[in-house]
Amino acid sequence: MERILIVDDDVGLCEVLAERLATEGFSLEAVYDGTRGLERARSAQHALVILDLMLPGLTGLEVLRNLRAHSGIPVLILTARGEDVDRILGLEIGADDYLPKPFNPRELIARIRAVLRRTSQHDTATAGLSAGDISLDVPAREAWIGPRKLHLTSVEFSLLEAFLERAGHVVTREQLTETVLGRRVVGPFDRVIDVHVSNLRKKLGDSPAGDRIKAVRGAGYQFVPRSEPGKK
Amino acid sequence: MRSLFLKIFLWFWGTAILTGIALILSFILQRGGVPDRWHAALKDAAGIYGRAAVGEMERGGAAAVTAYLDDLSRTAHTQACLFYQNGTSVAGDRCDSFRSLIERAADSSGHSAFDIRYGLVRVALQVSSHNGPPYVFATQLPAGPRAALGPNPGGLALHWIVAFVVSGLICYLLARYLTRPILQLQAASRQLAAGKLETRAATDAGRRSDELGELIRDFNTMAERIEDLVSSQRQLVSDVSHELRSPLARLIVAMDLARERKGGDPAFDRMEKDFERLSEMVGRLLTVARLDAASASVEMKTLNLRALVAEVVSDAEFAARERQRSVRFSAGADLYIHGNADLLRSAIENIVLNALRYTASGTAIDILLQADTASASAQLTVRDHGPGVPDKELQNIFRPFYRVDNARDEQSGGAGLGLAITDRVIRLHRGSVTAANAAKGGLELQVTIPIADLAQHEPNQH
Repeated sequence: MERILIVDDDVGLCEVLAERLATEGFSLEAVYDGTRGLERARSAQHALVILDLMLPGLTGLEVLRNLRAHSGIPVLILTARGEDVDRILGLEIGADDYLPKPFNPRELIARIRAVLRRTSQHDTATAGLSAGDISLDVPAREAWIGPRKLHLTSVEFSLLEAFLERAGHVVTREQLTETVLGRRVVGPFDRVIDVHVSNLRKKLGDSPAGDRIKAVRGAGYQFVPRSEPGKK
Repeated sequence: MRSLFLKIFLWFWGTAILTGIALILSFILQRGGVPDRWHAALKDAAGIYGRAAVGEMERGGAAAVTAYLDDLSRTAHTQACLFYQNGTSVAGDRCDSFRSLIERAADSSGHSAFDIRYGLVRVALQVSSHNGPPYVFATQLPAGPRAALGPNPGGLALHWIVAFVVSGLICYLLARYLTRPILQLQAASRQLAAGKLETRAATDAGRRSDELGELIRDFNTMAERIEDLVSSQRQLVSDVSHELRSPLARLIVAMDLARERKGGDPAFDRMEKDFERLSEMVGRLLTVARLDAASASVEMKTLNLRALVAEVVSDAEFAARERQRSVRFSAGADLYIHGNADLLRSAIENIVLNALRYTASGTAIDILLQADTASASAQLTVRDHGPGVPDKELQNIFRPFYRVDNARDEQSGGAGLGLAITDRVIRLHRGSVTAANAAKGGLELQVTIPIADLAQHEPNQH
């Protein structure tokens, strides 16, 4: 039974959600404030954290920022509808995906499944991948530029993996959303994948020969391998 | 903008200067009429000179008179002439100019005449002699404003300048005193109209006890009342939406749990659909409330509007293909504006999605971005080929929850808040959105946003 942590101050919602997720075979642990939420999230006992951004005490964004300093655990943020700014901030800080609240539980279950599928893929995947100066250790979920180890979140690792598998080819935003987030693009203006690509770009750093990940207008993104060992 | 100030200032100043000029001119140009109370004094002064001149004549003849008059001209700056009774001159300087005056003196009963010309008083009077017919003595005595100003033209100019500056300064202060509260009131009411409800007119002018001070106090009372009303109404919308959200979230999960236990009843599908609509509406209402409240707190920076619109268009092309519609986009050069990229993107998205929703199947929507140099603004036009909106309802489409055709919207799933959000976002950017029906059918929305001052432009990734 996969353990999932939810940090949300709505006790009633947590109760009914725990009951609903139990029917899908997930065990939900509920914590009602940010400080305790951060403590539990860092315990490494959960496969996924569901984090409401509107929390008493430590806010959701602060919890996320603290958590990301130590852990790459998948985080799904719950954002209030109409608070787009929080959503973008959450994704930039390192949330994997977001769900506007109130949400449909079936949507939530699909997201949970997608995250778990991605993080439990190691046994079937190839052991290593490399392109230019970037190399991946897929079972350990570790990435390197030359000798430098990259600190990637789980979703950023999957994104880089998807790019390396199709290095040099244009990958559409729809394809990336499906492989990396395990879901379809929601509506024409779902920009979650773009935020992740932008975060990944920052972590890969500038290459003197140009962007490693190019945006191809109207089509998607293209990963261009470079070989500048050790250079930032 | 300062035209009222300018008007009042110029009118006051003009009036002051013209009054001054008119006074001086009437004084200078007035001929004849010398006030009675001067007469005796002038006559006495002229009489003393006259008797002295006649005395010289009797003692030493015309040569002695000439010497005396020269001396008088040098030491007392007084021009004078001595005439025989028949009008021929005995001695003196420029005696012809006194001709008409001595004629009048000869005719008059008191045998004297006065004249005032260019600020100089001229007197002619008959002076009797001890041994013969009387003589007529005429003289020009400095008197009036000309005497005060003196004969120096440089001094005259200085006096004029002083008069101009002093009257100008007084009129400036007066005009400013009158118009400053009006201008402050105007600035305050503009800010209020732009949505800054916390604006109050200046309190220093509010301490005035005149009608303008009263007007400012009344304005401030009104602004306070408006702010109270609007903010309590906004707070209500915001609170209601917040409070609705939590029970709604629980209801949706509970409903899903019930469906899981009872199996697939179509009633659950209907409930789910309405729950989805409710959540969407609550979210959009919160966006509207937040935008209404946030006019000052939105982070703005310089961004490339062309790139932003191109992004939205590229996203919309995907949605359009799925619905057998297409997007035509044309834009000129990069346009930099001052704004918030996230808000603007959602505002433009709403317009584009709205156009895609209503344009007929198989048609394209036209998006045009151009600069209007005359008004220094960026103009974005989005036009669909759909049914359009009845002319009298065009203004209403920006109102929350407004629907042109209820049945259609129910089917297409809009919450009726998209364009209300757009309108607020664009107004936050000091722009405007207008709606019109295109000549050949279809709705045309035009967004106008001021272009950023390029001197302050900082390159940005957008």
